Amino acid sequence: MSDTFSTYHPSLNMLFFVGVLGVTMFVTHPIILGISLVSAISYATLLKGWRRTLRNNLIFTLPVMIIAAAFNPLFNHYGVTILGYLPNGNPFTLESCVYGLVMAFLLAAVITWFSCYTDVMTSDKFIYLFGRLIPALSLVLSMALRFVPHFARQAGVIADGQKCVGRSTSNGNIFARIKHGITIFSILVTWALENAIETADSMKCRGYGEKGRTAFAIFRFDRRDGYCLAGMVLTFSIVLFGASRGYVFSRYNPKILVEGWPLTPASFCVFGAFLIFCMLPVILELASRYMWKRRREMADGSLIRSYRLWELE
Amino acid sequence: MAYIVEIQDLSFAYPKEEVRALDHINLNIEEGEFLVLCGKSGCGKSTLLTHLKTPLTPHGKRKGRLLFDGQPIDEMENRVQTQRIGYVLQNPDNQIVTDKVWHELAFGLESLGYSTPDIRIRVAEMASYFGIQDWFYKNVADLSGGQKQLLNLASIMAMHPDLLVLDEPTSQLDPIAASDFLETVKKIHRDLGTTIILTEHRLEEVFPAADRVVVMDQGKIYATGTPEEIGEALRAADHEMFLAMPVPMQVYAKVNQSNDFLKCPITVRDGRQWLEKVCRESGIEPAAKGVSVFDPEEENEKTKGGGQGESDIILDCRELWFRYDKELPDVVKGASFKIRRGEFYSLLGGNGTGKSTTMSLICRLRKPYRGKIILDGKDIRKYKDTELFRGYLGVLPQNPQSLFVKKTVEEELYEMIGGSKEKKNVEYHISMDKKEAVAGIAEVTHLTDLLHRHPYDLSGGEQQRLALAKILLLRPKLLLLDEPTKGLDAYFKQEFADILTLLKEQGVTIFMISHDIEFCAAHADRCGLFFDGNIVVSGRPREFFAGNNFYTTAANRMARKYFPDVVTGKDVVRCLNR
Repeated sequence: MSDTFSTYHPSLNMLFFVGVLGVTMFVTHPIILGISLVSAISYATLLKGWRRTLRNNLIFTLPVMIIAAAFNPLFNHYGVTILGYLPNGNPFTLESCVYGLVMAFLLAAVITWFSCYTDVMTSDKFIYLFGRLIPALSLVLSMALRFVPHFARQAGVIADGQKCVGRSTSNGNIFARIKHGITIFSILVTWALENAIETADSMKCRGYGEKGRTAFAIFRFDRRDGYCLAGMVLTFSIVLFGASRGYVFSRYNPKILVEGWPLTPASFCVFGAFLIFCMLPVILELASRYMWKRRREMADGSLIRSYRLWELE
Repeated sequence: MAYIVEIQDLSFAYPKEEVRALDHINLNIEEGEFLVLCGKSGCGKSTLLTHLKTPLTPHGKRKGRLLFDGQPIDEMENRVQTQRIGYVLQNPDNQIVTDKVWHELAFGLESLGYSTPDIRIRVAEMASYFGIQDWFYKNVADLSGGQKQLLNLASIMAMHPDLLVLDEPTSQLDPIAASDFLETVKKIHRDLGTTIILTEHRLEEVFPAADRVVVMDQGKIYATGTPEEIGEALRAADHEMFLAMPVPMQVYAKVNQSNDFLKCPITVRDGRQWLEKVCRESGIEPAAKGVSVFDPEEENEKTKGGGQGESDIILDCRELWFRYDKELPDVVKGASFKIRRGEFYSLLGGNGTGKSTTMSLICRLRKPYRGKIILDGKDIRKYKDTELFRGYLGVLPQNPQSLFVKKTVEEELYEMIGGSKEKKNVEYHISMDKKEAVAGIAEVTHLTDLLHRHPYDLSGGEQQRLALAKILLLRPKLLLLDEPTKGLDAYFKQEFADILTLLKEQGVTIFMISHDIEFCAAHADRCGLFFDGNIVVSGRPREFFAGNNFYTTAANRMARKYFPDVVTGKDVVRCLNR
């Protein structure tokens, strides 16, 4: 099942991820990062369930974070607050420690957002968006996506066939194995080229190569998408405006400088706007879940009522 | 009279070939006609069809004229031709271009430059008409073969063609998917009045709907007329095309009684009525249940060599259980069976029941999680790969092309035994000369005249035989065949059956999985029905098919009232001629 935000127009999906990732990467403010990471994790949880999210985070994200946080102070020595000296004589500074931590959170947020991105931006949405820019590319991408699984399956069939004549890539000495592998590949290539002729025929039969080819897509830009876009543009411009005015400025070199904390009215607006922007998919999904729950309750209620009525008659 | 296609004295020869592929063809096709084109492989029917679609027309010497709607077809604008003539090819996979079902439906319309709202309407229409809406958003890789071919048809129909040309569209499909597909074609003809030209092996399914049948032979039109007329014509000439005709027609033609007063039956229902009349005429009474019309002694004689020795078991499968993944349901559920040495066993059953999986267990591609396979008295796990695959098992894959490596048939055969040098190696250790071995195998599989051809230039039946030849060079004792008759026409099937009989005589045990009931009934020693991961029933074809009501041959369905245990058309003829 896909979430609500995925059903919005692909351009909104794309804009959302570009916006979120852009702000996260270029405004390295701790609170902005915090908001971004929390929203990313909540969205990932909605998309994949908490079990998978937790597993991904523990296995993949956490090690990356640790490495980033640990390596930065070991190799970077800027900053004015010296905490001590490393064995090789270089200073160990508070600034580089903090910056390492910031980087760790930044990486975590980006990784988590990308894991959501792959779920939301499916290949057909990607093709649709970029096919507008380069029409030929959209068909090429679509064909490539068709042929990769097709070839993979055929490679499996061929490998099975070869195994049954005693030539698998897992028997014989190393040379025999390589030879068997090459044979499988050679059969696959011959097969693919031979069959591509038929695909070309099929394309010609359906008028490929005629002038004025159009690109069809099943996506529609509805009024709903318009409202959502307006909300996104509004909150995002507040964030951009705030960032450009330096309300959420942050610097870690040579001295840590973090604006906007404690909260000022301006920074509060920026954080609030960014929170709404990041949480948009989560809000949409929860709203729709709530709506369905209400509907079900109402439906159940009316069922019971109608049952009673029927009983009375 | 409005002719949509007029073929006037059309002749065609491929470059560098003396023999004409098409020889003075004259054919007019009316608007809204359902025309079935049949003939043995290589008779020129596909060549004729490709002339109806300019992008597919091959190069070569051409004479005569071909008019579409009164206009020479090669002068038609490409755009008009694309739209008005739809062409569905044989292979469901290769025709698909894009990755999504909806995109594939829109492909032709995109090429023709339709706007998005127009395409949306057409695509919606097609999806609803063909019942595609449930898998509209799917990736094409996740579709079954039948769905793929239906998608190909729908994406052609989206352009609203006036003429629909189908070149053996069901040859790669299983029987159920094939009849679904043909039903859809018939429905298009009925509902929309589209002119349809179809070549097909499953004539019993299309004959009832056909307005006219054209039989081709060696590039010429041999006969044309309604299915009944064709039956009469072929009967009079005793033509070999008869092998391909529906069973009731074959029976009708071979029975040497004077029943000229009756019309030639086409369907099983017609056949039953016809038989009813014939039997009444000649005083044959309906048989009681369970009574065999055959002489038991004679029967035993016939199936001799089919593993009479109960004790001589070559393959013993004991309660095999298999699933692809821990999370997934079982595919093979406690399948137990024994194959006797020297018999021809065929395993029948629907799609997705686990037949192919069972075979992959036997050839050790996959391992059962419970159960044992004993091959020739020894557990299959204890064999070395070289031992098992070079000398014991020969596995013929479903797609013969997945075995082809070389440029010619001859090289292909030598490749199997480690090159043409007369030197013994791991891959070839018997004392016979390689040259002799290759020549012998080529002879058995009727490839001697084709040794210098490219494997991909062979027809489907020839490719099948080449693949079989390659496997046979490994001298298997047990031959495992996966749907070997798929896509073969009646003539090639007969040829294939002859090869199998020859191998059986030489002591090779044959294990085949198939959808082809008629083929198994005619040639197998024993048949088994595979259902729900298990063999439900198993027995000699006669007992096996006589016991079934639906899952049985056309001849049995037609004649069971009078002759309960006939399974082939030949049996019926034999009974009637007695």
